[in-house]
Amino acid sequence: MSTTIRMPEVLANVTEAAVQKWLVAPGDSVAVGQPLAEIETEKAVVEYMAETAGTVLELLIKEGDAVDVGAPIAIVGEAGELAPASDAAAPPAMVATPSPDAAATPADTSATTDIDLSVRQFVSPLVRRLARERGLSLNGVRGTGPGGRIVRQDVQALLVDVDADAENSSAHDAASAPAADLVATTAHPPVPEPAAPLVTVSPRAGLEPELIATSRMRKTVARRLTESKGTVPHFYLTADCRVDRLLELRREINAIDGVKISVNDLVVKAVAAAFSDVPEANTTWTDEGMLRHRTADIAIAVSLPDGLVTPVVRGVESLTVTALAAAISDLATRARSGGLKQHEIEGGSFAVSNLGMFGTQAFSAIINPPQAGILAVGAARAAPVVVDGVLAVGTIMTVTLSADHRVLDGALAARWLAAFVTRVENPVSTLA
Amino acid sequence: MPKQRRLETIAPWVEISTTAADWKAADPTLLASMLGQLHLIRAFEERVLDLAGEGLVHGPAHSSIGQEGGAVGSIIGLTSSDAVNGSHRGHHQFLAKALTHVSGGAHDLDALVTADIQTVLQRTLAEILGLAQGYCRGRGGSMHLQWFEAGALGTNAIVGGGTPMATGNAWAQKHAGTTDLTINYFGDGAAQIGSVLESMNLAAAWKLPIAFFIENNFYAVATRIEEAVADTRLSVRGQGFGIPCWRVDGMDPLAVHLATQQAAEVMRSGGGPAVIEVEVYRFFHQNGPYPGSAFGYRSKEEEQAWKKRDPLDRVATEMITLGLIDQAGVERVRAQALAAMEAATAELLEADPEKQGRRRIRPELWPNTDFVNVGVRGDASELGGLRALDPSNSDAPRQPSKFVDAIAAVMERRMEQDERIVVLGEDIHRLKGGTNGATKGLADAFPGRVLGTPISENAFMGLGGGLALDGRYRPVVEFMYPDFMWVAADQVFNQVGKARHMFGGENAVPLVLRTKIAMGSGYGSQHLMDPAGVFATSPGWRIVAPSCAADYVGLMNAALALQDPVLVIEHVDLYLEQDEIIADDLDYIILPGTAVVRRTGSAVTVISYLSMVKRSLEAIEQTGIDAELIDLRWLDRASIDWATIEESVKKTNAVLIVEQGALGTSYGGWLSDEIHRRFFDWLDQPVQRVTGEESSPSISRVLERAAIAGCEEIVVALETVVANSGGAS
Repeated sequence: MSTTIRMPEVLANVTEAAVQKWLVAPGDSVAVGQPLAEIETEKAVVEYMAETAGTVLELLIKEGDAVDVGAPIAIVGEAGELAPASDAAAPPAMVATPSPDAAATPADTSATTDIDLSVRQFVSPLVRRLARERGLSLNGVRGTGPGGRIVRQDVQALLVDVDADAENSSAHDAASAPAADLVATTAHPPVPEPAAPLVTVSPRAGLEPELIATSRMRKTVARRLTESKGTVPHFYLTADCRVDRLLELRREINAIDGVKISVNDLVVKAVAAAFSDVPEANTTWTDEGMLRHRTADIAIAVSLPDGLVTPVVRGVESLTVTALAAAISDLATRARSGGLKQHEIEGGSFAVSNLGMFGTQAFSAIINPPQAGILAVGAARAAPVVVDGVLAVGTIMTVTLSADHRVLDGALAARWLAAFVTRVENPVSTLA
Repeated sequence: MPKQRRLETIAPWVEISTTAADWKAADPTLLASMLGQLHLIRAFEERVLDLAGEGLVHGPAHSSIGQEGGAVGSIIGLTSSDAVNGSHRGHHQFLAKALTHVSGGAHDLDALVTADIQTVLQRTLAEILGLAQGYCRGRGGSMHLQWFEAGALGTNAIVGGGTPMATGNAWAQKHAGTTDLTINYFGDGAAQIGSVLESMNLAAAWKLPIAFFIENNFYAVATRIEEAVADTRLSVRGQGFGIPCWRVDGMDPLAVHLATQQAAEVMRSGGGPAVIEVEVYRFFHQNGPYPGSAFGYRSKEEEQAWKKRDPLDRVATEMITLGLIDQAGVERVRAQALAAMEAATAELLEADPEKQGRRRIRPELWPNTDFVNVGVRGDASELGGLRALDPSNSDAPRQPSKFVDAIAAVMERRMEQDERIVVLGEDIHRLKGGTNGATKGLADAFPGRVLGTPISENAFMGLGGGLALDGRYRPVVEFMYPDFMWVAADQVFNQVGKARHMFGGENAVPLVLRTKIAMGSGYGSQHLMDPAGVFATSPGWRIVAPSCAADYVGLMNAALALQDPVLVIEHVDLYLEQDEIIADDLDYIILPGTAVVRRTGSAVTVISYLSMVKRSLEAIEQTGIDAELIDLRWLDRASIDWATIEESVKKTNAVLIVEQGALGTSYGGWLSDEIHRRFFDWLDQPVQRVTGEESSPSISRVLERAAIAGCEEIVVALETVVANSGGAS
């Protein structure tokens, strides 16, 4: 008797997902606990383990195809058993009309297990390469070249989406973003069909606004931050910090051969130190009660081409500033290449977001649940300062703390902020 | 009864033989030296046959045992600036020349094997075995043995293949003002082949100091001379061309020497060529260590009779009679020669660890297999110091010029600046610049350097090749129609195209070959090919195809500067075009690897050359398609501009190769194959091609037009490319 494996809900509140990579093939035997596939969520990739043992009979969806959580993705049974008859293959070369029913998608792709010559897709070498590199599925693409060959023009619109994203960023997440583009346009009826005049790069196009399909990541960011703004009672405190000594310390540290730290690394150290000074502020809100954290697990905001991730550095208070710098750098790099693990983006009690490199003087950030606060760091600037009643020139950096009023009252937040300012203005103390 | 008057030929024909008095009068040093060389060569050849018998000689071993007298007798009196070349059976001539070179022609029989001589023996043996230390780095072997320093121009595996090039060497010797001469050796088999006969005529017409030395050993493999010719006295050939000829017993080295001296007097005094026929006998079969009688085409009795006339015995006997040496002395000479071969062999072979009692070549002596393509052509470093200019991106002012006048202009400029350049071809010295005017004015401006040739493409192409290899002159050869390359194919492809690589990779071959495509002129199926496709198969040749006059100047200058053979393709359609050249500048070069984009676009990459560049532009205009057009300029594999092609293909994802001529010999086949393999993942459709039809164009005007490609065909192809690019209907 065969078992239908369905798309798991690997993350709470996620409604759809895709198999980024199959780890088994039809004919393979699997044991309980053996990884079957890498399931792609909005920001991370999760290995899905087999819950039943048996032989893989059929893989129902292709890598990169998004399906609803709960949709069938594979069949496991006894070797030699036939797969259930409902997975009859539909010819892949049909027109790409958006199906109102996402359940149609598995049926299209069940032919993946056999080589059926009568349904060979003719695709030009160029398109094959582009599809491979960008994770495009050619299912349902109609070929208008000779003999029904799929040629560049037939995938032009899909490539333009991808190219438009690529142009907007220096780093490009090839695995999830473009597949998400395609997925978004074929599986979700409200989004217009890609073959429609979505966008061309012709200069003669009119000045109508361009509709850009949303990636999975952007959707997730939108949902979570809306939730946060809507449900977490934010309040804000601002402080100016004198950072002359911080900048000097950074210079001295970087003069050491082989060491390179940023201003933000020292800021994050100061944040952790402030939590040592005011441990009650290291608390987060849960429905069961307030969670007092014993370590400073601080999320660092990393900007991506189509959104934002906040990987968490754990135990910042016990890291040297160079180790912290290395950890942040590693997380940021892997965030950009889509290589973050799920556990690395979960949790944390606080976050730091720094827009100083863009010259922003000050801003207020939105808290990332389940964290209780986020510190928005601005650019260091030369400014007039008063020292012993005398006007002088100093370097000022404005920070704004957004705090969750459910766990952080005004006074507590203010005390924490004061501790932070002290630490930042006396940065050597954070190294001790 | 009609009146009859006996006509006489213009050249004397004599047979020479020695008398006792001649032997008495001969310089004892000469006799001793001849004996020494004869023994060294005999011992060497015996050793080669031994090794062949052991399976250590890869390929054939054509033994000259029995024929040494002809070689030694003729060569021992030569200088190092005299030259020889020979055939596949050429060890004896090569060795005689090398030994004469290192010894100055005088050998001491008591200390026969000097260090230099040991080296000659060892390196020659190494070359025959295909080893890196050989004279041609192991590439040439027995049949392509060359040592320029000694005047050994190279043996040749093609029967008669070396003869035309020998005439070129002789031309250089004469025009450089020397009294040097060249001897070209070949056998009775070659005395009938076209290249030899053409060369005899050419040498006689131009009075070149070359001796055509026929080793008549009566057999061409297994074919007796009587079966192959009507008059077996092969020196009679000289009579047909007005060349003085000598016939002599090749088993008598002194007779050979004396005949050669007489012939040399003629040659060194500007009297032109000579034919020397020697009767010799090869004691063994064509190839390998068995006697011919074992193969049944001659008798043992005949072989025995000739062995009694062994040149080694003849010289020894005469010397003993004259009291110049005794038998023991002769044996000592033989022993020294054998010892030398023992020593040479020991350096090259060792006991085979896998086969008891057998020998093998020392593994470390083989050439490195990485060497396989080295020296196919030169590295073009000779262009380094020259001024490069690309007319397509130069603001230099232009002046009007007909295309054909630009050819004559740049040739004139180069000939004026470089005395080494000589031009040869049919009628180029008359008709105001040949059949199309391309060489206008040159014959008057540079007397003696513009040579109208007889109709003998094989001979004069080879003469050009010989000139190029000599290096004192830089020949520009014209083929009136490209199809004439078939007449000269051996010289073009097997000789000139391979001369650098085959002899080890060092020989420069600075030869330029000009020809014009004449499609559209009605000259029919045998005159109208495009040579690019066939020449592209020969890696030693570079190819340029200028589409406009300003490019012609730069490309011809580069061709003349290169140390490789370069084919310069012209087109009758371009000759009369009113074009432009850069004003007052005929000295720039256009570098290899620099194609030009004549039109930028994004829909398809059109690749073309020569007159089809303009046709392509017309077609592109007509269709309104946004095509990118690349004018290749350099067509051969080594010089083609891959960078420009790559950039374009990655932009357009579609390629159309446009040429005019027939499909079979077309150029675009290899290019299309290479583009598919390099840029497969960038192609949205297969590479498309415009060519002529399957058949060669014929003379009927409408059939000719139907057989070749023109603007209309390019239009159709462009539209096909666009249709294949798909798009919603």
